[in-house]
This record gives sequence, C-alpha cells and structure tokens, in this order.
Amino acid sequence: MRIPFQGDFLSRLAVVLLAILLLLGFVGPSLPVGDPAAIAFGPRLSPPAPGWLMGTDNLGRTMLPRVLQGIRITFVLATAPVLITSVLAVVIGMLAGYLGGWFDELVARLADVLFAFPSLLLGLILVAIMGPGVRGITAAIILITLPLMVRVVRATTLSIASRDYVAASRVSGASLPRLLLVHLLPNIAGAVVVQATFTISVSMLIESGLSFLGIGVQPPVASLGSLVQNGSVYLVQAPWLALAPGFFLAVAIFSVNLLGDGLRDRLDPLEAHGLK
Amino acid sequence: MKSLLRIEKIAVEYATEGGRLRALDGATLTVAAGETVGIVGESGSGKSTLALTIGRVLPAYARRVAGDILFDEQSVFAHSDSELRAFRRDELGFIFQNPVSALDPTMRVKYQLAHILDLKSSDPAIMSHLERVGLKDVERVANRFPHELSGGMAQRVVIALAIARGPRLLIADEPTSSLDSTIRDQILELLFSLPAQTGATLLLFTHDLRSVAKYCDRVAVMYGGDVIENGLAEAVFSRPLHPYADALLKAAPGAEAIGGKIEAIPGRPPILRERSERCPFAPRCTWVVDLCRKQRPASEIIAGRLVSCHRAEERATAAPAQLVKGANNAS
Amino acid sequence: MSYLRLFRFAIERLASALLTLLGVSILVFTAIHLIPGSYEAVMLGPQAPEAARERLREKYGLDDPLPQQYMRWLLAFLGGDMGIALCRSQQSIGQQACENADQAPIIAEFARRAPATIQLAFMAAGMANLVGIPLGILAGLSAGSRGVRGTSRAISALGMGIPSFVLGTLFVYVFSVHDLGLTVGGYVPLSEDPETNLRAMVLPAITLSVFGTALFARTTRDAVLTVLAEPYIMAAVARGESPGQIVRRHVLRNAAIPVVTVSAVNMGYLLGGAAIAELLFSVPGFGWYVLAAIHKRDYAVVQAGVLVAAVAFVGVNLLADLAYAIIDPRTIRRGLG
Repeated sequence: MRIPFQGDFLSRLAVVLLAILLLLGFVGPSLPVGDPAAIAFGPRLSPPAPGWLMGTDNLGRTMLPRVLQGIRITFVLATAPVLITSVLAVVIGMLAGYLGGWFDELVARLADVLFAFPSLLLGLILVAIMGPGVRGITAAIILITLPLMVRVVRATTLSIASRDYVAASRVSGASLPRLLLVHLLPNIAGAVVVQATFTISVSMLIESGLSFLGIGVQPPVASLGSLVQNGSVYLVQAPWLALAPGFFLAVAIFSVNLLGDGLRDRLDPLEAHGLK
Repeated sequence: MKSLLRIEKIAVEYATEGGRLRALDGATLTVAAGETVGIVGESGSGKSTLALTIGRVLPAYARRVAGDILFDEQSVFAHSDSELRAFRRDELGFIFQNPVSALDPTMRVKYQLAHILDLKSSDPAIMSHLERVGLKDVERVANRFPHELSGGMAQRVVIALAIARGPRLLIADEPTSSLDSTIRDQILELLFSLPAQTGATLLLFTHDLRSVAKYCDRVAVMYGGDVIENGLAEAVFSRPLHPYADALLKAAPGAEAIGGKIEAIPGRPPILRERSERCPFAPRCTWVVDLCRKQRPASEIIAGRLVSCHRAEERATAAPAQLVKGANNAS
Repeated sequence: MSYLRLFRFAIERLASALLTLLGVSILVFTAIHLIPGSYEAVMLGPQAPEAARERLREKYGLDDPLPQQYMRWLLAFLGGDMGIALCRSQQSIGQQACENADQAPIIAEFARRAPATIQLAFMAAGMANLVGIPLGILAGLSAGSRGVRGTSRAISALGMGIPSFVLGTLFVYVFSVHDLGLTVGGYVPLSEDPETNLRAMVLPAITLSVFGTALFARTTRDAVLTVLAEPYIMAAVARGESPGQIVRRHVLRNAAIPVVTVSAVNMGYLLGGAAIAELLFSVPGFGWYVLAAIHKRDYAVVQAGVLVAAVAFVGVNLLADLAYAIIDPRTIRRGLG
C-alpha cells in the first residue's frame, strides 16, 4: 500500500491525531473506565487521580467516560449533517451549474439569502423553531453549510462542463443523469471531498457553539461543547471539568483543518493557487 | 565595432519536480551597440530563458551553472542587489508577450509611468512618453486601467514603460504573438523605429521568421539551449548553413513555394538534463554522421557567420542541388 | 466614464442586497409563523393579557391573509417598530407589568446594548487585521522556505480550530485566578470610564479575534502567493523596482481583494460570535440579549435580532463589494462571482 501524504508531516500528524480521537471516542467508552452515570463514583470535584483520570464533577461522577462519549457525539453530530449537505449540494450544485437559466438564478439567490445570516444566529433561530436538541442542530448545520458547498460544486461544474469531452458526450446524445454521473461527478469529487472536510470543522464549531450556549444537545446526551458549558460553572474550583473537553475539541477541529489543507494540496491543487 | 552585450557559454538550469532541466546549454552571442538582432527558435529552445537571463530576472528555482553575460564589458552576475536594480532600471527595457498581464491591473497607466520616471502623475512629461509610442488621445489613455486598453494600445504602453528611462538595450520577448495579426506590423514598425530614435540596441526573441527577415540586421538561431547559427540576416536567410536553421526556414509558413507544402521538422526538440556532449540536433538531422553523435561541434566562423555544425563547411561549399536533397551521402 | 460605471455597479449591488434582505425577511417571518402556537402567544408569551393580544391582532392584521400580514409587519419594521420585548420580570409580577404594552420597545433595548457590541466587534476586527494581515504578508513573501510554510499552515489551522468559547473559558480561568491587570466582567460604558472599560473589553475582544486573525493570515498569505506569480510582478522586477517598492505598489493592492471579501465574512462571524464572548465576559451587549431572549422564548426579540444582524451583515458585504470595485476596477466589468 502506498503511504498517503508522503513528505507532508502535518497531514500525517492530522491523520494520527484523528485516528487517536476516533479510537478514544468509539472504543474508549467500552473499556473499563467507570460508569459515566454513577453519582458519587468518587468525591465531588476531585482533581484527576487514579480511578478518575479526568477528575470528577459536582455530583462525583467520573469525567473520563463522559469526555470519551462527548468525543463520539461530537464526531457523529459533525459528520452526519455534512454527509447530507454534501449529497444535497452535489445534486443542486451540479444541476444549477449544468442547466443554468432560471434554476441557476434561483439557487444563487437562495444561497445569497442563507449567506446573509450570521451563521450562529441562523443556528439560533432554527433551534428556536425546532426546539433544542439533535434535530435542531442537524437542521442548523445543514442550512449553514449548504450555500457555500453548493457554490463550490456549481463553480467546479461550470469549469468542467465547458471542457471538450463533456460537450462531445452531450452531442453524442448522452442522457442528463449519465452526463452528470459519469462525466461530471468524478471530476468534481476532489473538490467536494476537500470542501466537505473543511465543512466538518465548521460544523464542529457550530454544534459545540450551540451546545455551549445550552441550546444544542440536551442532557443526558453530552457533546464536548456541552461538557465545557457544564464545567464552566466550576471553573475556578475545578478547571479540568471545562478545560479537558475543550482541549479535545480544539485538537479535533485543528486536525480536521490540517487534513483539509493536505487534501486540498493533493486533490485540488488548482484551488490552492486561486482565489478562495 | 564595440560590443554592448556579450553572452559567453551561458548555461542555466531549472530545478523542477521531475529533476533538473537545462534550459540554456552554453549559448554564446555577441551584440554590437545599435544593432537589431532577431533570436529565433522553436518553443523550448531556450529563447525566453536567455531573454530573462540577460536581466537576471529568472525565477527562484533557476540557477546559472556556467558562463557569463557581460554588458558594457561588465558581468551582470557581479552586480550587487542594488547595482542589479539600477542596471535593470536604467540600461534595460523589457517588452513582454502579453502586454495586458504585464501591467498592474489595479493601477492607471499614468501612475505606472510616473513610478518609473519618479515623477508626479500630473507631470506633463508623462504625456510626451505616451506620444512617443504613437498613442493618440494620450490624456485618455493615461487615465485608463490596463484592462480598458486594446492589446495593441497596451503593448504601446508597455513599450513606453520600457523606453521611459532611455535604456541602451531593449529585450522584446515574443512582443506580437498575443496580438491580432492586423496590428502586429504596427507594433513591429514602432519597435524597430526605436533604435534609430534613441540609439538603443534591440533584441527580438521570436518564432516569427518573417519579421526577423524584414526588420533585423542579424539573426541568431537557437536550438537545445544553444545558439547554433548566428550571422547577418540576409546571409543566413539566403543560405542557412546549420541543417536545423535550414529546416526551420523551410518549416516557416510563407517559406514554401507556391503550391508547395510546409515541411515540418520530424521529431521533437531535446529536453536536456545536463550538458549535451553531442550535437543536440543529431537525432532529427538529415545530415547526421557518426561524429555528430560523439562530439559536440564547436562554434566556428564559416562564410562570415558563426555556426556549430560538423558539416557546415561542407554545406557552405556544396552545390545548391545537394543542399536541397539534404542527402546523407558524404562522410 | 469610469465613475459612472462605478455608480451603476453600486446601484446594481444595492438592488441585489435589498433583494437578499427581502428574502431574509420572508424567511424570518415564515419561521416565526412556523413556531407552534398562535402568533399572539408566540410573540407575547403565554401569560399576556387579552388586551395586549387584541392590540397585536389589530396592529398586524392577524385575521388578514399572510402576504398582507407580512407587508404590514415589514412596513412597521422599516419604520423602526420592531415590537415589544417580553416583560423582563414576567414570572414574578405576572400579568400586571404587561398591561402597559409600550414599556419596552425592542428598538430601544437594541440601541441601549448596541454600543458594547459595536465596540467589541471593532476591537476584535482591528486586532485580527493588525495581526493577521502582516503575518500573512510575511508568510506569503517568505513562502519559499518549507519551515515558514509549515509553521503558517499549523498556526492557521490552530487559530481556526480553537472554538472561541474554549479560548474564552481558558481566559476566564487564568484571569480569575491570577490578577494580571485585565478583568473578567466589570463592563462599564466606554464614555463613563475608558480605562475600566478597556480592562474589561480586552479579553473578550482577543477571544473573538483569534479566528479572524487566523483567517486573515491564511487568506493574505494565499493572496500574496497568487499575486507574486503574476506576470506584472516579474515585469516590475525587470524594471528594477526594489522588493519594498513591489510590495507597496503592486502586491498589497492586488492581494487586498480576497482579504476584503474575508473581512466581510469575518464580520458575520463577529456578529454571531459576539454573543458567546459577551456571555462569557458579562458584557451587556446585543448578542447576549438575543441569546437570553432565545432562552426566554421571547420570539419578538429573536426575530428582530436576527433581522438586524442580517441587515448589518448584508450592509458590510455591500461595502466590501464597493471596496472591491475601487481596488480592482476589473470587478465592474467582470461582475462578482
């Protein structure tokens, strides 16, 4: 097997960090790390010690399994909406770029409108309508990330649709779905993957931000963002409660950003040089 | 005759991802003050690299590995950074292939001229610089942005910038290839009126043989990063001694006899990675002999010009019919 | 000639911005109507007295068809009438305090809180510009070195990777435990006591500025690299311009274009992010107020807050478009992507 990201130390670092985080989040909770729900597992607000490696909270619950679960929730809540966004954006963006005309105009206008909302406020109002919780967060992330993704797909489609081989297959009578799937999709896939990676980091910021503000995930579910929020009440007495999940969250977003840079350099070098 | 520019066995290499590329491989050329010299060759022959090397305006991944370039008997490679800038500013004038992209898109023409001349943009002298290059309605042109100019107008502006400080050497790299054919001649007329007007020396790097034949005193033919034939334009054009020069002339559109066809040169120009130890044209040459593959021909004066070919002397004395056949008969 | 074109371009952009805002207002209007419960209950809260409900029904013509209601609502909004905030002490005092429906017009509440948010946004944007752009220029100009390239990539990924509330929480901890001269909380208006004000505002401003700093550094670096590859830069080198002259005359101006776009994007981030910084550092600003309204389910305030923020954001983007056209005259002809 070829080693990915040859000679690119930072991208490899990102891959390693992400692998560690995913292991911690998905395998960690099933290891003997203590019962996250057990009240008075240890003393209250105890600093990290053997038995409770990340300390305990105000109810004496051990933090370690809660942080591990938070890592998992954060990854799930950030990637699932991005998958939906990507699929929607590929369909809408390709059609808009390829068909042009009124459909393209309409898509561009709607994207403008969604763009006009500062992202956190768009999240706030959606959560206000749909109620706090996973559904609200998912809707918020999709609507916030969709317009940019559609623009990227549309622009890439435009640049590829003008190439000769696309025109040639159109002339030779290829059907629209065939044209889009066989000729366009493979060529925009690189740009989509790069953009989706950056979008995961954006959606981590949105989810954790909303959860920190108390209108994201609701107890008993906890993401890293809501753990920071819970811990910030005892910040002075027990700083580890807020800072440990905050640290893992920052590492997660940092790694995703680095990975996005690395992918962009490899898959979409043109964009690396152009105006973003 | 005193020489203004002496290019001596210059070799330049680029560090690319695929390894080293040797763009210039010992090119030699001497240019006298006031001359107009056309430097011709296919793309990849090293023309553009040579043009840039004279002003040392090579990209960071390029390196001079051998040879020297002397301007006014002083090596351009001996200059300090500030001397080099002064040399470029006051002695050289570059004219580029695509005039619109050679001008800063965010700056009105008058400011670009004002910067070069160290004048205020309101100085009336600026207008006279635009008039000199044959622009009409100079006030309007001065206030325009580059993208608001036609290609021909933009190239006139680029020429105005190049000659603004009265340089002694003008270096034009494919100055007309991005222009409409209708205005090419106008721009060339303008370019070649400059030496008489200002006393400048002009180097025209081009693949357009006809303009060289029409305007230049002398022609230098480049191949494989080297100047392989160099002499008075009239002499070279009427009887090219290097087989490559011969083939190039025959391949030029317009050179064919009426009803005849253009003779393409079979094969591709070489991609050099290190110094060539044989004649670089040997693989494509119809006059090739064993010697050509073993030993690189030295540059010799034959029939009033400098030629790098083992069989140049033979070709100089051969009967015309033999030349046409280009046969591989003698050894 | 070119001024006329600039004017036309400005009008076009303005029209486009207004169209966008129209879409925004329809979306917000629809969104509020999608919330379960009658409009009066949503806007006034469940405990509002019948008289207040009746006044609202009359004012917005709630028995009319929706498009008519929308027009009425939009016109009122444009006239500065954004509705009334829920009585702040609704729970304890109950219906009595709400008898007087004129007591807390939202626009007045916004006006009272805007200065803190505007100050915060300007401080954060200023810091991001002053640090991020020079860093990006340096990184772009020395991009030949592998070390610089890697360092700038890592720093920008980190700066854009730390959520502002994590950084803010860290600041709150460090500065609450140690006395380092800057205060956590203790906001007073700038006009009252500038020194105390600045002591309280520096930390929230830094918290907010980190994302923008990384964003500016990264965008500026990419822009400088792109410009350096342009033929007119080589032409300037060939004319004997010094590196300093080239950077001043050509690179900065041409690289400014994407940076201006990003400033507008950053402004949108600041508008949202301000809520988090205000909450963490107890700055009584616009963002905190809207946030509190969401927790209280005070939808009149949420609706007005989102609209005002969208207007501000679209306005900033409009300014960015015009700045574009002035920096790069080609924009006018080409149109914006």
